[in-house]
Amino acid sequence: MIKRPFFQLTSPKLRYDLIESDLKEPEKIPKPPRMIILLDEQLDSTRKIRIEEGDTVKTGERLFLYRNSTEYTTSPCTGTITSIASFTGDFGEVSTYFVIERKNSNEQLNEFEAFADKPELESADRFLRSLPGKPPFQTFTSEANRIHTLVITGADMDLRSTTCQYHVVTAFDEIKAGIQILEKITGITQVFITIPEALRQNNGFEKTQMIRTTPFYPDALPEIIMKDHLNTIVPAGSTCENAGVCFISPEAVISLARAYREKTHVYEKIVTITGKNKTSHRVKATIGTPIHRIFSHLDLKTNEKDRIIVGGPMKGFSTYTLYHPVTPDMDNIIIQDRADIEYVSDYPCINCGKCISICPANVPVNLLVRNLEADRYEDAADFFDLNSCIECGLCSYVCTARIPLFQYIRLGKHQLQLLEAEQKMEAANA
Amino acid sequence: MHKQNKYTVSHAPFWHDGDTISTMNLNIMAAALPAALFGILQFGMPALGVMTLAVSTAMLWELLFNFISKRDITITDYDAAMTGMVFAMMLPPTTPWWVVLTGTFLAIVIGKQIYGGIGATPFNPAIVAIAILMVSWKGFFDFDAAVLTYDFDFTPLAPLAALKHQGTAAVDLFSLSDLIMGNQIGSTGGVFGAGIIAGGIYLILRGYIRWEITLSYIAGIFITAIIFQAANPDLYAGPLFHLFTGYTLLGAFFLATMNAASPVNFIPMLIYGAAGGFMTILIRNIGVYPDGTVFAILIINLINPLIDKIRPKALGRGVNNA
Repeated sequence: MIKRPFFQLTSPKLRYDLIESDLKEPEKIPKPPRMIILLDEQLDSTRKIRIEEGDTVKTGERLFLYRNSTEYTTSPCTGTITSIASFTGDFGEVSTYFVIERKNSNEQLNEFEAFADKPELESADRFLRSLPGKPPFQTFTSEANRIHTLVITGADMDLRSTTCQYHVVTAFDEIKAGIQILEKITGITQVFITIPEALRQNNGFEKTQMIRTTPFYPDALPEIIMKDHLNTIVPAGSTCENAGVCFISPEAVISLARAYREKTHVYEKIVTITGKNKTSHRVKATIGTPIHRIFSHLDLKTNEKDRIIVGGPMKGFSTYTLYHPVTPDMDNIIIQDRADIEYVSDYPCINCGKCISICPANVPVNLLVRNLEADRYEDAADFFDLNSCIECGLCSYVCTARIPLFQYIRLGKHQLQLLEAEQKMEAANA
Repeated sequence: MHKQNKYTVSHAPFWHDGDTISTMNLNIMAAALPAALFGILQFGMPALGVMTLAVSTAMLWELLFNFISKRDITITDYDAAMTGMVFAMMLPPTTPWWVVLTGTFLAIVIGKQIYGGIGATPFNPAIVAIAILMVSWKGFFDFDAAVLTYDFDFTPLAPLAALKHQGTAAVDLFSLSDLIMGNQIGSTGGVFGAGIIAGGIYLILRGYIRWEITLSYIAGIFITAIIFQAANPDLYAGPLFHLFTGYTLLGAFFLATMNAASPVNFIPMLIYGAAGGFMTILIRNIGVYPDGTVFAILIINLINPLIDKIRPKALGRGVNNA
């Protein structure tokens, strides 16, 4: 954790980590006997099921929960489904997890093979949605966005993570091949790749233009890249995708290239793990591996009341279970010792102004939080720029009163969405 | 699933810069210490008595209010202690105990707690207390009378009162070095200019007070005093005299910068500070009070919510879909 320096005339600067120069081959985590995969759909007893406990699945089989489901996930192994249950995330988003008891045999079901020679968006979306890196095919197919620009995030967005840089450094050719496939299937010609300034990387990307990002957080976040490098300001409450720019992780590009080259779905991804002693390990794990398998393989200990952070320290989330699986978009895991966990408080804002001077989006956080604490979400959005927040978390990081500001903001946005949905429904029924 | 550890689950960010309200207040008190200690050395035991009584009773009032209002105990954030200390620094060294007791009641209960406690104070609590005392018991704020029995080896006159009564002829009675080094009559913590500046610069460097407010306040004092002096040098004293007398430096570093009642955006901070300096000199030069700092700060506290509306446009605000 980066602490406040003794002298601090200006706002603190948090530095992104740069990848080490002596790269080691990532440690390979063996496939565990029991795999857990997450599906972005809720359990609903009123719908006709398509898959149930006791079914056997093949490697590469797409798992749909219900007959008319459009969401799917791809099984990384051959085995029997022993359990299907609900998984609750932040803000009560409910998804479903499958536990698959692995068999020794490996039966492949490769529906994708027939389409692998002719890259098309439709077939890619049909078979490759759960590739490592989670390629956002739905963003391209959605009517609401007209994507004209692709940005590959070679610079990691959050602190302490170097996974994206690792991909850029090690799989340069595959990124190029992946870009060609992406250009072909989406018809997008304007492609950028973000690279940290300090990373020595020559521009061998041909038509792809490089965006050099500064070493300071939050300069690699999408909204800031849009503002600083693409000269587009995302309107408050809108998204980069709505503005026609799609951000995609280098791992997604690489796995796309591999999938088309090998004519099959791929399941292995790179994850950086930081243990309590602050040393990092890079591992290659199969999607669906419970994280405790990785910890035990690396001999990392966790104790009661530690915090397990998936993602970075500024924007990630903390998981409550070691059975949390490796998901397609998981780049980074940090184990934080209980002694390193800073407390938050229910003190009121003391108006010290540190959040104002650090906020990259000029949000009047001091006034905003007073409204959010009082549940005045609409006022917060109308007069205090709730929707301008780019969710970097810096306000919480510096808060002297230790108010969980970022949490208030996320909750405010969430409640506002519910409120707006409710109003829309009432208007429709009226 | 077998029994497993329970992990701490909370929301991002998982890092914090480690700052707390209590460290902030302890730092402010430490920064005020040089000036306060000098005052105690200069004016002796009565000044120490006032200082300790103010700090302790401020904390006691807060504790009492915590009990009465059935809320969490908040004295551990040292905000009451800090308020009591700053309040005591503005008092004459021989203030009677009951005035101190009333003053800390006014500061903590009337100035702070009834508005909702820390962060909710529209005015600086210490200033509220001093202002009410000043209006109610004017006699106790006659610094000359307060130290009548003392024997000093410098001009035994309160500079601002002398200026008020004798005009600019009084300015020559005080050498600038005496004023800076604390050889003047005034409040316990307000006489030692060099000490206040040192403490204030420490706070600015540590990031606990906002330099914009301090600098613009001093600039406001300077510019206004220069204009007055240029208009009539026989009637009005120069900027340096104003800067090192009365509560000016305390105001610039410890009073105007009080978090809850001051703006946080850049331009508002400049307006706020400059307005404070301007009002201070205005009250001193054409008002009835010898020192205008207290009322000037009350006034800028009052306009703070209004001027703090001037703020930069938030990202993505007013942008039409590109």
